[in-house]
Amino acid sequence: MDYPLIVDVFFVLLAILAVVSGWRVFATDSMVRASFFLLVSFIAVGVIMILLAAEYLGVAMFFMMAVEMMVMAIFMVMFMMNPAGLNPMMMVHQHKFSIAAGAVSFLVLAAVALLAEFPDNPLSADIDPVRSLGNELLGDSMLIFESAGIVLLTTMIGVVVLSSHNGRYGAAEEGSMPPGLVPGGDPAGMPEEEDEGGGHHHCH
Amino acid sequence: MTLMTLLLLAAALIGIGIYGALSQQSFVMLMMGLELILNGVMLAAVAFWALSGAGAPEGQLLTIVVMAVMAIEMAMGFALVVAVFRTNQADVTEGITELKH
Amino acid sequence: MIFNELILPVLLVTVVLVVGAYLVAVIDEVIAGALGRPSGAGAWMAPLAQGAWLLNQQANATEAPDWRAWRLAPALYLALAAIGLAVVPFSPTLIATDLVTSVVLWGSVEALATVVIFLHGWSANTLLALIGAYRYVALGLSYILISMFVLIGVALPAESLQFSQVVASQEELWNVIRQPLGLPLFLIVGLGMTFWGPLNLADSRDLAGGTASAVSGPPRLVWNLARAAMLVAFSGAAASAFLGGWLGPWLPGPVWMLLKMLAVLAVLLLIGRLMPRVQPERCVTLMWVVFLPLSFVDLIWAGVEALW
Repeated sequence: MDYPLIVDVFFVLLAILAVVSGWRVFATDSMVRASFFLLVSFIAVGVIMILLAAEYLGVAMFFMMAVEMMVMAIFMVMFMMNPAGLNPMMMVHQHKFSIAAGAVSFLVLAAVALLAEFPDNPLSADIDPVRSLGNELLGDSMLIFESAGIVLLTTMIGVVVLSSHNGRYGAAEEGSMPPGLVPGGDPAGMPEEEDEGGGHHHCH
Repeated sequence: MTLMTLLLLAAALIGIGIYGALSQQSFVMLMMGLELILNGVMLAAVAFWALSGAGAPEGQLLTIVVMAVMAIEMAMGFALVVAVFRTNQADVTEGITELKH
Repeated sequence: MIFNELILPVLLVTVVLVVGAYLVAVIDEVIAGALGRPSGAGAWMAPLAQGAWLLNQQANATEAPDWRAWRLAPALYLALAAIGLAVVPFSPTLIATDLVTSVVLWGSVEALATVVIFLHGWSANTLLALIGAYRYVALGLSYILISMFVLIGVALPAESLQFSQVVASQEELWNVIRQPLGLPLFLIVGLGMTFWGPLNLADSRDLAGGTASAVSGPPRLVWNLARAAMLVAFSGAAASAFLGGWLGPWLPGPVWMLLKMLAVLAVLLLIGRLMPRVQPERCVTLMWVVFLPLSFVDLIWAGVEALW
């Protein structure tokens, strides 16, 4: 299928944007910035989907990923040190192996893309992608769609169970200690424990 | 924009995602790697749907299912991060060494 | 061809956004004047004077801000307003982009607005701006849900996700009567996503201006313009989703559309001046416990009505 030149130009620009922002996710210091770079990568892919006539999926990508990445940024700030990226940071393990694994998987998949013969059956002009998706979701594939819904419901329940304050063995923070300010140091933010007798204080 | 270039782009996204998922210490960054892999998968699915599958509706359905998988992965991932942080005060994968034994 | 597909849509969106944003400021001044606030220059000149003043001010700097995000965020919010307005139909043929899934695109504009507002407050690297940003995220997620359900309710009778089809489906009866809960809920969403009046919790006075507390000069002008423009884009979406868009007797379609947009704007601005600001923590409860269930009721209502 031949696309007009302008579509090709936009595709190249969006592809570069998607790859560069995808790479920046793991190269930026700031966690908030990392999650928004991922969002940019998703939006670029969403626009490419719209160029491919998948209008619903492309637009759905925008709102799904906007909310997901927003939540991700909040979690980043909650759990990571240095969320603003004011200091340089690199938190990686098995770095060389990962680079090799990423490169090898890219090369294998690229070889598939370059060497394999795929049938050339472009979208026919009279198909309405949104209507066809809707008919599929609530027609032949309703079971799959409904199972996805059930799995999402199960996820919600599981998430509440996992993250709720009380577990089977009592309250969540029981027996847990905040991390020390230095490795192996005393737990941070804990008040000095008073002696049980009360009354007497240590004088030095 | 041909099937080949689209698949190359998807391959690049999946490759970066695999690098991220394997190399990052922080749970949340690790999940970002997984998301990037799924991003490439969705792009490849839509590309096949539009250029090779003659618009078979199952192609779009697959993308919707991947989106649901992404939402589930995010939700479960964050719940596990919260649970691990509550018990171990850890936000990096090295913090849960007892899973090794 | 180039004129019809590129120049005309860009011109249409730009003119409506700029004139609309100016009219928002003027109407707001008039309402404030009618409610007894003394104003120096006349209502028509005051926004221009304030704009010129901001343009001449120096742009403020904070300690170690995320410069790119800080400067980009107002422009991105303005761009989102333009994208939102681009899918609003002014007549059966006069639509900037007649996307098949324009209702969903409007939903994603709301979702992306959350990201942009968060970025605006976060990147300034100051305390009050950051609080405003987090506040908006906590509330924005609930506005998005309400808006989704209300918009699905509108798409049901139209059997389409396209704003032009939604308007066409209101030929016999406008959605404001057919789904009485829809418009009030959608107006709340509109006040929320532009953080205007009673729902101005992101840029509120109690945070000394919230996400915009550390912004001055031209970036501040763009931010204010973007908020007014988003209100205009929202009024376009509300007018076509609930008030029958271009439909109406005697006058040509685009005129009806503009009149309806002005009416929605006037109502929003009047609410903005008359209602006190809601407490943020009470607002979350209100959204999740009262308005979200009401939007379910609206959706069930629309479904039953569509099956009838």
